[in-house]
Amino acid sequence: MDFMKSLSIAASGLRTQAGRMRIIAENLANANSTAGASGGEPYRRKVPTFQAKFDRDLEAQVVTLGRVQRDKSSFISRYEPGHPAADGRGYVQYPNVNSLIETADLKEAQRSYEANLNVVSATRRMISRTLDLLRV
Amino acid sequence: MILADVPLVGMLKTRMGWLQSRQRVLAQNVAHADTPGFRARDLEPVDFKKILTQVPMQRTAMAVTNPEHIAGAASVETDRFGQPRASGKFEIRPSGNAVALEEEMMKVAQTQLDYQTATSLYSRSLGLIKTALGKTK
Repeated sequence: MDFMKSLSIAASGLRTQAGRMRIIAENLANANSTAGASGGEPYRRKVPTFQAKFDRDLEAQVVTLGRVQRDKSSFISRYEPGHPAADGRGYVQYPNVNSLIETADLKEAQRSYEANLNVVSATRRMISRTLDLLRV
Repeated sequence: MILADVPLVGMLKTRMGWLQSRQRVLAQNVAHADTPGFRARDLEPVDFKKILTQVPMQRTAMAVTNPEHIAGAASVETDRFGQPRASGKFEIRPSGNAVALEEEMMKVAQTQLDYQTATSLYSRSLGLIKTALGKTK
């Protein structure tokens, strides 16, 4: 039945957006993680990627989370000579995580998730209308 | 099934099948709301004009009984309805994604309503057949 296919496609969207939220949460949680040793690299921001994958059974392109990439932009360095992770000149490298960007991304992921949920509930209503035909 | 031989029921069945497929296409669009380079798709609506031109029509030429008569064109004018203008109001994000979530939600709601209409009409036609058979309720 085609409705089941619609549900599966929407479910792939839900799964992907949830995975994206997980990565964003990881970034936010590590916004202040510095390196353990002095002069080392701190946490590097992760970037989720989306991939369209053709599903033969569903006859449609489902969405999956691709390989998680690393943000190659430079770290933020602050002068904190007393910090255990400070290098020889007294600078500490902080992660390249901007919490404003992460929050905006989180909002977008949330909207997309809700849109997929909306498709699921619309499809479910259509299925129940079909089942209602049996009760005529 | 013999019910599908009833023209109205058969038509409704086709309509429901079309709406079902459309829902699948829309679900795909929404799922790809953030995939780079993805363009939203939609099913082509049933084009009445196209169906009309496919039906073999009996075309009669005008009789010319006088040399000053104008021989009418033997074909019917098919350009009367005009082509539906493609709505060019999609936006492309920097990532190459062109899914307008609001538009898709509207289409999903519309599809759901259309489906509801079709199923209601379907059960009504079944009721009609029941009445014809003499079954009360």
